[in-house]
Order: sequence, then structure tokens, then C-alpha cells
Amino acid sequence: MKSKEMRNLIEVSHFVYNCRKCGLCGNKTSGTVPYVCPVKEHTEGFEHFFSRGKIIIAQGMLEGEITPSPELAEIIYACSLCGNCQTQCAMIDNHTGLPLVDPPQVVEAMRADLLREHPEWIDQEYLAMLNSAKQYDNPWGMPRTNKEKWMKGLSLRDAKKEPSEVLLFIGCTIPSNPVVSPLAQKAATILKLAKVDFAVLGKNEPCCASVLKKVGSFDLAQEMMQKNIDSFNALGISSIVTLCSGCYHTLKKDYKKSYPPLIPNVYHIVELLASLIKKGKFNLCKKKPLKVTYHDPCHLGRHMGIFDPPRDVLAALPGVEMVERIATRENTICCGAGGGLRLFEEGRLAERIGEASLQMAIDIGAEALVTACPFCEINLNAGAKRLDFPFPVYDIIDLVEEGLSTT
Amino acid sequence: MKKRFPESLYQSLREIVGENYITSNPLATFAYSQDASVFGGTQACMVMRPGSTEEVSRTLFLANEYRIPVVIRGGGASNYGQPKGVPGENILLDMTRMNRVLNINQKIMTVTAQCGIIMGKLQHACRKEGLYLFSPFAPLHIVSLGGWISGVAGAAGLWRDIVGLTVVLPNGTVATIGGGPGTNIHQPLPFNRHLGGPDFTGLFIGDGGSFGIKTEATIRVTRFPSVMRASAFVFDTMEETLEMVGQHVERVDPHPFDPILVFCPEAMKNFLPNPEGKEIYTVMGMMQGHSVEEMDARLKAFNLIGEELGGGRDPSLNAMADAMAASSNPEGGAGGGEMDWLAFFNGFGLACWLPFNLPREGFVENYRKLVSWRNERLKQAERRGYQYTAKWEFFTPTDSSGIIGEIDVFFQDAQDPEVLQFVQTMMRDFQDYALHIGAINTYTQGIASNLHVNHWSSGFKDLFKTIKLALDPNNILNPDLWTGQD
Repeated sequence: MKSKEMRNLIEVSHFVYNCRKCGLCGNKTSGTVPYVCPVKEHTEGFEHFFSRGKIIIAQGMLEGEITPSPELAEIIYACSLCGNCQTQCAMIDNHTGLPLVDPPQVVEAMRADLLREHPEWIDQEYLAMLNSAKQYDNPWGMPRTNKEKWMKGLSLRDAKKEPSEVLLFIGCTIPSNPVVSPLAQKAATILKLAKVDFAVLGKNEPCCASVLKKVGSFDLAQEMMQKNIDSFNALGISSIVTLCSGCYHTLKKDYKKSYPPLIPNVYHIVELLASLIKKGKFNLCKKKPLKVTYHDPCHLGRHMGIFDPPRDVLAALPGVEMVERIATRENTICCGAGGGLRLFEEGRLAERIGEASLQMAIDIGAEALVTACPFCEINLNAGAKRLDFPFPVYDIIDLVEEGLSTT
Repeated sequence: MKKRFPESLYQSLREIVGENYITSNPLATFAYSQDASVFGGTQACMVMRPGSTEEVSRTLFLANEYRIPVVIRGGGASNYGQPKGVPGENILLDMTRMNRVLNINQKIMTVTAQCGIIMGKLQHACRKEGLYLFSPFAPLHIVSLGGWISGVAGAAGLWRDIVGLTVVLPNGTVATIGGGPGTNIHQPLPFNRHLGGPDFTGLFIGDGGSFGIKTEATIRVTRFPSVMRASAFVFDTMEETLEMVGQHVERVDPHPFDPILVFCPEAMKNFLPNPEGKEIYTVMGMMQGHSVEEMDARLKAFNLIGEELGGGRDPSLNAMADAMAASSNPEGGAGGGEMDWLAFFNGFGLACWLPFNLPREGFVENYRKLVSWRNERLKQAERRGYQYTAKWEFFTPTDSSGIIGEIDVFFQDAQDPEVLQFVQTMMRDFQDYALHIGAINTYTQGIASNLHVNHWSSGFKDLFKTIKLALDPNNILNPDLWTGQD
């Protein structure tokens, strides 16, 4: 591969060469880290399935020992980009505290180069997502009107027409899948009850481009982000509240790094819920006792440091008892849906990972698992189907809304 | 160039481990071409991940039949490189699929595990049962049990606790060794390695994986040491420091849990106030045990010696000692601490590990020779414009006779192939020099093993060759090790 053909990989080559190939990213086990890489754990476990092997392959590409191939495409898409490898990595700058190795960035860069130079080797489903994003402004091939169906009967304000404090950003995934589609309506109900001044964009809500970037379409993602920033900044809102951890991560991190940057503050719904509960904006009544554990979505927890607000919300729910799994907070194990992994192996690998995640919940005696991301909820539900018995998976919005419904 | 093997061989190997656990995909094999060391791994023709002793045995039978070199790999955590075999022609056995804890025996306090298990996982399994595996100087979270036994257990202390092994000999024969089931078919428990016959277990410790592939090991464990104590003294000269170390090992007969670490001036210059610019040596004692009374007594003995010898005190140093002791405890005792230190080192850049292992007698003189050698080499680095960020110097007694230590350097510019080559050459030459002044290798791995052969006595060399030839007549298992060539 010529230099210009690996321009994204070259940009992050310092992460490749800083890696000492010690293997912590694949082998660490401790009291709080049952394993690091869900892909290594739930495949045949060869080196190329986890970060060390992928970084060695990246180095081989940079040094001309590896030429791109369809097999390479398969390897670099076998990653959930969950970032646990980076969390466990010992290569931290002693002065700044910043990571010296960032495997997800290396994998994303390899994807971007390969997608640009050899789209013919990329799985058709990934390409379909990109085409859908261009055509319908969402990666899931659904008509734009799906993003407003949930609004029926709620009398919500249109952010483009009526100024408001908050934009409730639903994201593309929630309206696309019946497992999670009720979340939008439930979130809006909660916010109305709490008298939050908010509006929505309905069918005009754009894709945040998170999925596109993860799949490797950097150029398209950048183009969409820039367009969205202009549009959000023009709305006159003070904050954006997302229901999806992927949207949150992208809006808060990537959009803020862009120029001009995104002006409104970005919050995840769990942050807002925790704040509203603390301020006593609504009452929660006691429901049937339920012992739950919380799954930290990678994009919300490990990547953005939002660990306490969801736990504060759960603690405030009468009747809900919270127990922690072994892999929690920054050591959380990916649900299996990250980085486009649900499209890999037709979703079988992602489902195995999801099942293992639930097993960790079952092992500590939890009766249900709660999360705060539609990707996680969808994949964990898919994993639950592999179990021999029903095991409920909820979004935290479900439990809050349920607590409200009898007040 | 990768060799092509007959399809019948591929077919047979696939039948042994199952289709999913064998690959000849060039990208997959390439991913094994490096490890944690600057000397790297090897390019294999195919990689297999066996799941049982039987699968390893059948693979070696077949490899003998076809005369194919076999190299083995655990966590990929070596300091001196992995066996290279015959690059491009090897079957590489990635042993980390064999990662189960087979038995924890609370009565006789042993743990039996498959040798591909990562030491951190093994330590954690013991910890859950209230037990502790003493494994100092292991980067716990990356090294496998088999790699540890083959490549470094002799350096620190674990070798005494290895009670028995299951080994697949190079010809595929499975042997159970160590006093117990290996020497008495009516006894299922390995419990005393040294009785019942010659210590064949010792033969396989530190062999670099040349005499056989360890698939299971039984190791003695202790109750988890829940009480920690730490203390530190500073001295102006190395002679005084060695006196402290000497008196401690001679008078107290320290418990194996009590590492005494000596940090030399370069290591401590960023931590201790030193307005006069003196050389400062720090003796830090960390004690782990089971009761407050016992630990206080051991701490008192350590402090008494330090005070008698006029060692200085520094509050910040004591706080550091306490913090190190505390951080080392939760998962892996002193070994757990080692992992924290690895993290500490990593931030400094490309590590040039310079370990040594010397007798206590004559240590000061030899240590100074090694430091002087290193500093001369660093002048060369400076002339070439290579920058190093830190030097790390420490040593610790292994027992009453010996001392191991390191005088490492950390270079910037890990991306520069010339710097990498400089580090490789420096590590290699340092080992050679250390051997010339009478040191023995800390690591029985990769190039360090080969360098060492050139310093063996002729009798030892003959003995080694005789054993290797008897066990591995076709020289298929890690054939590049212990050859004297690197």
C-alpha cells in the first residue's frame, strides 16, 4: 500500500510504534477485569483477534510487509472499538496522563484507508449503511418519517419552528428497532412531567455520523458533522440531550473538536434524569422489588466518564436494588454491538458477547440488567435469546417511566 | 518465505485441534511475529491453539514424523525474544488456550493449572480461595505459567514451589514428573518434588521450553498474606547498603515474602531531596504476612539492622514504601506490584532491559563494572543523538547467596529503527559482558539462552547436548535455543 493510500494509518502511526506489544490488551485478568477483549474471548482467540495482533499487522502495513487483502478487511472489522484494551494498557504518558497507545484509533484508521482504497473488500452491509446515511440521513435504511412516528399524540414542539432550551435528540437507532423504539416516547413523557423546556426535530433530525466514523467513512462523517454543527448552532438551543450513548459520545467529543465547534452543551439523558431527581422534579413510586445490575455502555462510561449519574438514578428508584457485576465502570465489557460488530459474522459473535454479559449479571443474582444505550439494549436482548430462560434487559428510561406511571 | 506443507499434514493437524484452532492465514501468523521484547517472535507456517495435553502430544508425534520444527508461545511477554525455530517453517503452538485452573487443594495448599494460563488469572483464582502464589518479578498480567517456568522462574523464587509438572516430551510422550503421581501410580496428589526419585522437575525449569512442553503444573501456595509492613533507610555508599542487605539475610533469614529492594542513585534522584548532590542508596523492605504480631516483629528486625548501621530516614521515603507495599497487595503481592512498575516504566519509552544476577560476594565491584559499561554505551548513544528519558537501577537479594537487579535505560524515539537496533545490540552486549564478569542470566529465553551457552563449561555443555539429543533426536522442539548462536 502506498503512503497516500494509508494516510489515516500514518496519522496515528505513533500509537503503533509506542505499543510495546506486552499483551495486556488481551491477557489481563484481575478481580475487576474478567477479561479485556470480548472479541478474543468469544472467538478462537488468535493474536489477530485482539489489539496487540492488530497493531502488529498495522506496523506490518506501515513497513510494507503486509499488503491489503480481503482477509485484512475481515480482521480489522472484527473489533467492537470498545476501548477496554486502551483502558488496561500501561502505556500512559507519565507527565500528561494521556494514553500513548490508542488501539481503537488505529483500527478506525485502518478501516478508513481500506474503505477508501478497496471498498470492494468491505462487507456489503457496511456499504449499505453508508448509502443509507447519504440517502435517508440514517444508517439503517428506514424512511425519514420513522423519526417522527413516535411523536404522535404527544404535542411536542418542533425545534426548527419554536425556540426552546433543550433539543431532545433521539438518534437513528431508537426509531429503527421495535425493541427500543418506545424509549423516545417514554423519555419525552418524563421530560414533560418534569416541565423541561424541550423540543424535537422529528423527521428532520439528522444522523450524528457516529456509526459512519466507526465503520471507517471518515470523509462522509466529517461532511455530515459539519453540516449538523451549523444546523444545531442555528437553532438557538442551550443544550442537546441524547438518548443514545453513541450519539452522546460523538456530539460531545467529536463535534466539540470540530471547527467551528458545536455551541450547545451536550448531555446524556441519564445526566438530566439524575439532576431532575435530585431537584425533586417528579415523584417516583415503589414498584415490585427488582434486583438489577447496570451495564456501563462503553461510549457513555469508559469513553466519557459518565458512571455515577445512572447509578444515582437507580438508587433513587423505590424497590430497585442495585448490585454490581465484576466488570463494571471503566472495566465494563462491551455488550458486543460496538464498532459495527453486529454486522460481523451476521451478528453471531455480537450475540455470544451479549450472552456472556448477561451471564455475568446472572452470576451475581441480578433479576434484570439495565443499561443506557439502545445499541446495548438491542444486542443484549439478542444475547438473551441464547439463554435457556427469559432474562429482562431494560433501558434506565424504562424503569424511570414505569416508576412515574402510577403516580 | 513460508514453506508449503503437504495437504495431508494440514488435514491431520486440523483433526487434532479442530478446524477453528489452526490457521495458516499469513496475517494471523504475522500477528505472532512480535512479542513484548525488542527481539520479537517468529514467523510461523501455521499457528495452532491446542486445548489439551493430548492435542499437544499428537501434534508433536506428527511433527516428528514430518520433521517440522515446533516453537511454543505463552503470553508473548519475553524480555529476550521468543524461540525462532526455523522462520517460515515452524508450527507455532499458542498455548494460551490451555488456561484452566484444574484444582485448588486447600488441604495440602497446592494449585494445579494448565500452563497456558496467564499468571494474573491464576493468582486471582488463588486469591478467591484465600490463597496466594508467590511469584515476584513476574509481570503477572501478561506472562503465562508455562512461559514463566521455562523462561524466568529460576530468577526469583517460584522454582522452589513447583511441585510437579505434566510435560509433553519432544517425541510426543506425556510424562508426569515430581514426587507424587509421576513416581507412584497409586498417589494422585503431587506433593513433594524432591523425593521418590531424581528431581526431573528441575530439569524442565529454565529450559526455555527446549526439553518438553509443559502443559500442567502443580504449585505450592500459601494463605493470602493480609498484613503488610514497609520501611526504608538511606545510605551514602553502596558498601553500607550491601552491609544492610547482608546483615538482613544473615541475621534474620528473611521470609520469602519479604523483598528488600535497593534503589540506586539514578532511580531515586527524582524522589528524594538531595541538595548536596550526594549519591543516595535506598534500602526498602516490604513485608507481607498473616498476623500483626508477626509482621511487627519482622519490621522491628529490619529497622533494628538499619538503625545499627546508621541508615538515614526520610518521611517521604517511608510514605513511598507504604504505598508500594499497599499497591502490591490486592491481587498479586510483590508480583502485583511488579505490574504497577511495568506501567510506570512503560511511560518512559523504549525499554532497554539490563538485568544481572550475581553472587553477594564481590557484588559491589561487579555492580560498578556493569554500571560503568552501561554508561560508556550511553555516551555512544548520546554521540548519535539518541535521547533517553530515565535510568532505573535496583537490586534485591534472591536468598543468602545471590543478588539480582537491573540497570535499565529508557529511550525516546521508539519509532526510530536505528534506536531500536541500538537497544537490541546494547541488551545483547550487556548480557555478554555480564556473563564475562561472572553473572548468570536472569532470563532463560531467546538470545539470552544462546549467549549463555558460550560461557558454559564443557562438561555442562556435554550434559545438555546429551539430554537434548535423548529427548529430541530429530531436534524439532525450539531447535534454535541453546545453540550458542543468536
